[in-house]
Amino acid sequence: MNELKIEDLTCYRGDNLVLKDLNTKLKSGETLVIRGSNGSGKTTLLRVLSNFIKSYNGKILFNDHNVLEDANYRNCFNFVGQKNSLKDNLSVKNNLKLWEIIYQKNIYYSKLLEDFHMSHLVERDVGSLSDGQKKCISLLRLNFTESKIWYLDEPFVFLDEENSQILIQKIKNFNTNNGIVIITSNINLQNTFTNEIKI
Amino acid sequence: MFALLKRDLYLALYSSSSFFYTSSFFVLVLIILPFLFGTNDVQLQVLFKGIIWIGLSLSILLTMERIFNADYEDGNLDIIIQRNPSLETIIISKYITHWIVYCLPLFIILPILSFLFYVSLDSFFLIFLNLFFGSLGMVFIVTFVSALTLGAKRTIFLKAVIVIPLFVPFLIFGTNLESWPILLALSMMSFVLSMYVSAYGLRLYVE
Repeated sequence: MNELKIEDLTCYRGDNLVLKDLNTKLKSGETLVIRGSNGSGKTTLLRVLSNFIKSYNGKILFNDHNVLEDANYRNCFNFVGQKNSLKDNLSVKNNLKLWEIIYQKNIYYSKLLEDFHMSHLVERDVGSLSDGQKKCISLLRLNFTESKIWYLDEPFVFLDEENSQILIQKIKNFNTNNGIVIITSNINLQNTFTNEIKI
Repeated sequence: MFALLKRDLYLALYSSSSFFYTSSFFVLVLIILPFLFGTNDVQLQVLFKGIIWIGLSLSILLTMERIFNADYEDGNLDIIIQRNPSLETIIISKYITHWIVYCLPLFIILPILSFLFYVSLDSFFLIFLNLFFGSLGMVFIVTFVSALTLGAKRTIFLKAVIVIPLFVPFLIFGTNLESWPILLALSMMSFVLSMYVSAYGLRLYVE
């Protein structure tokens, strides 16, 4: 059983107060949707949780260990940001190969791409794909690590109805396997995930 | 660090045109300048010692966008930083890759070019040594400028204005064949400065 606890989190970006006294707790199998207007600090919150931003007040505890002091924490989560992390001049296959090297995990490309019904795109240059197709491929990074938490920044942007449903199903499967998911979204997902906070 | 090194080398291999262009650019600079200054044997020998440094400086300057900026713009830098706990290992890996991908090809074609410029074998070895130590120092310099200006768009002129004055000591000592120990010392100083400033630049980006 894993637990992620955010206690009195306050974060400034320059002189601007972005996050103020945020408190929440998530257990294995739970998904939290963070909603808010543009510039409200949703992405900042995910970057704080992912340990990219380290200067903040308050505490973030994963299984009662402060994430700033826990060297193993970086292997516990997977962060998929708004940028796709894809090289436009390379094929899908070569992009996946580069991830394979970075994550040090062997992957069956066609099987992986089949998740979003995209195995036919394996030899295509990423630059020739649509934004939605790029987003789907970028989300495949979730399969590269055995993480306990997923931080997903606006994962439904550019996705069509079918691929959104596939992603929702992936998130639910991850929850079933005791994973914790935190999503930022401008879309109302209350019918799908009940746990929601507004910042 | 080895995973990142391997990944960067594969990336260079997949986009192989990039190091071909750099080498071509280097050769073109060396070919064009003699037309301006004369082509007799003695003139070419004197010219060679200078123009290889101009070629090297411009080649390194033109490729500095690829050290951190390409990964920053497509989001890969987040993955790299998440997978590598130490920023220093990321920086060292970038030094090695950048030198292998963009400087090593120039050293491979250097013997042919020096033959075309009637450079004697003794001079060639000293030029080679100078260029080797100088190129290391130049890579250290462009790496820290690249890290420090991360996220700033369309700043190639700003970067050039910062980088070119820092290249001047290498150019001054590089043209003197006996000065490889000074170039080595300059490169070591650049390394120390570069490690500190690059780590600071990356930390600024992450924060």
